[in-house]
Amino acid sequence: MTLIGTSTSAFFDRATQDMTGLRAQLEDLQAKLGSGEKLSRSSDNPVAASRLRSLARAERMATVDTSNANRAMSDLQLTDTALSSFSSFIVRAQELATQAANGTLNAAQRAGIGTELEQIHGNLVALANSRDSAGHALFGGETAGQAYMLDGAGNAVYAGTASAGELSLGEGQTVARGLTGPEFLNFSSTNLMAVIKNLGDALQGAVADPAQAARDALGALGEGLDKVTSSQTVIGSRLAWIDLTAERRTELSEMRSSEESDLGATDIASTIANLQQLMLVLEASQASFSKLSGLSLFDQLR
Amino acid sequence: MASDLLSIAKSGANAARIALDVTAQNIANASSEGYVRRSVSLQEVAASGGLGRIGDVSLSGVRLDSVVRNADVFRQSEVRRTGADAARADAEVAGLENIEAAIEQSNAFSGVVQFEASLQQLASDPVDTSLRASVIEDARTLTRTLNLAASGLDAAGTSLRFEANDGVSQVNLLTGELARVNLRLARAADASSDQTALLDQRDLLLQKLSGYVDTSVTIASDQTVEVRLGGPAGPQMVTGGTPSTLSMTTAANGTIGFTLDGNPATPLAGLLAGKAQALTKLADVRVDLDAIATSIMGAINTAQTSGADLNGAAGQPLFTGTGAADIALATSDGAKIATAPAGSPAGSRDPGNLDVIRQALAAADPAGATDALIFDISGTVAGRTITRDALRSIADTAHIALATQAGVDLDHEAVNLIRFQQAFQASGRVMQVASNIFDTLLGIR
Repeated sequence: MTLIGTSTSAFFDRATQDMTGLRAQLEDLQAKLGSGEKLSRSSDNPVAASRLRSLARAERMATVDTSNANRAMSDLQLTDTALSSFSSFIVRAQELATQAANGTLNAAQRAGIGTELEQIHGNLVALANSRDSAGHALFGGETAGQAYMLDGAGNAVYAGTASAGELSLGEGQTVARGLTGPEFLNFSSTNLMAVIKNLGDALQGAVADPAQAARDALGALGEGLDKVTSSQTVIGSRLAWIDLTAERRTELSEMRSSEESDLGATDIASTIANLQQLMLVLEASQASFSKLSGLSLFDQLR
Repeated sequence: MASDLLSIAKSGANAARIALDVTAQNIANASSEGYVRRSVSLQEVAASGGLGRIGDVSLSGVRLDSVVRNADVFRQSEVRRTGADAARADAEVAGLENIEAAIEQSNAFSGVVQFEASLQQLASDPVDTSLRASVIEDARTLTRTLNLAASGLDAAGTSLRFEANDGVSQVNLLTGELARVNLRLARAADASSDQTALLDQRDLLLQKLSGYVDTSVTIASDQTVEVRLGGPAGPQMVTGGTPSTLSMTTAANGTIGFTLDGNPATPLAGLLAGKAQALTKLADVRVDLDAIATSIMGAINTAQTSGADLNGAAGQPLFTGTGAADIALATSDGAKIATAPAGSPAGSRDPGNLDVIRQALAAADPAGATDALIFDISGTVAGRTITRDALRSIADTAHIALATQAGVDLDHEAVNLIRFQQAFQASGRVMQVASNIFDTLLGIR
């Protein structure tokens, strides 16, 4: 007679295997819940892991883009403020020129106005040599030194580079990081500072007809003011452009975070449901194992 | 009358005793590895009548014919074959997981990304010394992570080779043992308990051997085995009392090969095959990692020389080394980063050459290459893990199938215990009857 059935060791082997398997699955779920991450190593899901890496890379680059954009923004805002000061100086110079154009003024009064224009010239040169947030010449392009130098005759001469250069805002977008002095000070083959200096000199007696010189200068000053205000508009639109890209960056970053959590984060609800189910199965198999293994024929032999 | 009731009863009691012994042995070895359930085969002892004694009753009881070993050769060979496959997959996956961990946990990917990011940040102000310092520090981190990945790979390779070497000595030990068992089997009496114990030992050794290499086994009529590596036409590992010697050779790139008695041999399954496969993958990964390191060095160093540094001097290489293991920073001075075009004066803010550097790095794309490398190895691990799980469950099933048939079932043994105990008691009863008959005869007056 042969008893059909399993050998004792096979029974124990099978029970061990099943329960070890269940326990391993439970531990896996527990690790997912504990870490909040679906993937503990790349091989858990190579494709998702690679996607997560490229998302992390894009996120890191976006952080740099944001910091670069903030820098460009603060430089452009400094430019904007400086341009406002330029306008008010020009307006003051226009008032003075209008006064000086009046034929009733005597030479001493005109000379006084000339002295004030000289001061304004000095202020303009100082303003043109303002510094940006990093301490470089705000209007000097990419120069390492001053934007404007005074030559022997006291004329302001541009010493910077031809362009201010562009700053990357990420995803191939760039913004010109500022203005060079000549871009908003030069017009009709002269520049604002030369106009004001010449007018100051003229009112202090350098020309025979200072009133005529003042009338001539009024036209040039109006042109200079136009140039500065239109430059201010350019700066305003660049600031708006940076805002726009910042908004886009924020949206992209949100998209990345949501994709990241879709790919890498544990779905708590379904994981806990799975955990509960597996625990139930494990408890059941433990209970049935202890019942079955207690069934020995030897217990019945007395 | 040629029969003797008392001696018949004696032989019956003897047979029951032997059967009880075998049952007890089965119970005692219920969980011994490699033990195959025994049963006794009994045979009647009876003489056919001789000349002139036709029709005579001539019964002499029972005798032990053989101790039967309930081994199924097919299931045993299945256990060996599937076990070898599973052992190979196990060893390969374990090795690959180590390779994956070495690459991934070195954080080489974030090192590369961080370096790219700090170069991009430097573009906002190329003369800022703190930004320059952060580029240098991130470059240092990058070299360290690559060094770490390389040394992690080397360590994984060393441990793989160590384990393979240990596997080779185990194989030689097992084949030597098998040869000795062969010699003793050739001398053991047929179906004796001595022979069954040797057969258990032989089968256990064969099963252990199959964990290391794939074998094909031929069993001769005297129960000795001839073991060949691989298929039935493979080189001999054990013939009779002669084992062959397996040795391992290591190539310059760290991959391993095997020779059997000096002739090249290639196991296709078992632990040794798995280790060899993992080492082959490791050599590939190592080449890729070195390629990433050299591409970074090439791109940055070439771009550096086309520019001028913060002091106005011609740019010098930033990295030194020949591969991932020895890549290092040539300078720790942030001013040495050549951001300005060649010939620029000291302190130039012109980012012309920084753009060249960043473009060179973007063209070399070390981040993409690192990602691809991690994807390659992790994809391999994921694929092989599925294969491994399948092979493992096949091997487990085969093992249980063998255990079901060859293992001890305690319920069965409990039944046998009662059965043979009753047989023994019955034989005792027969002796009593014989004695009673004798007494009856003596008591006739």
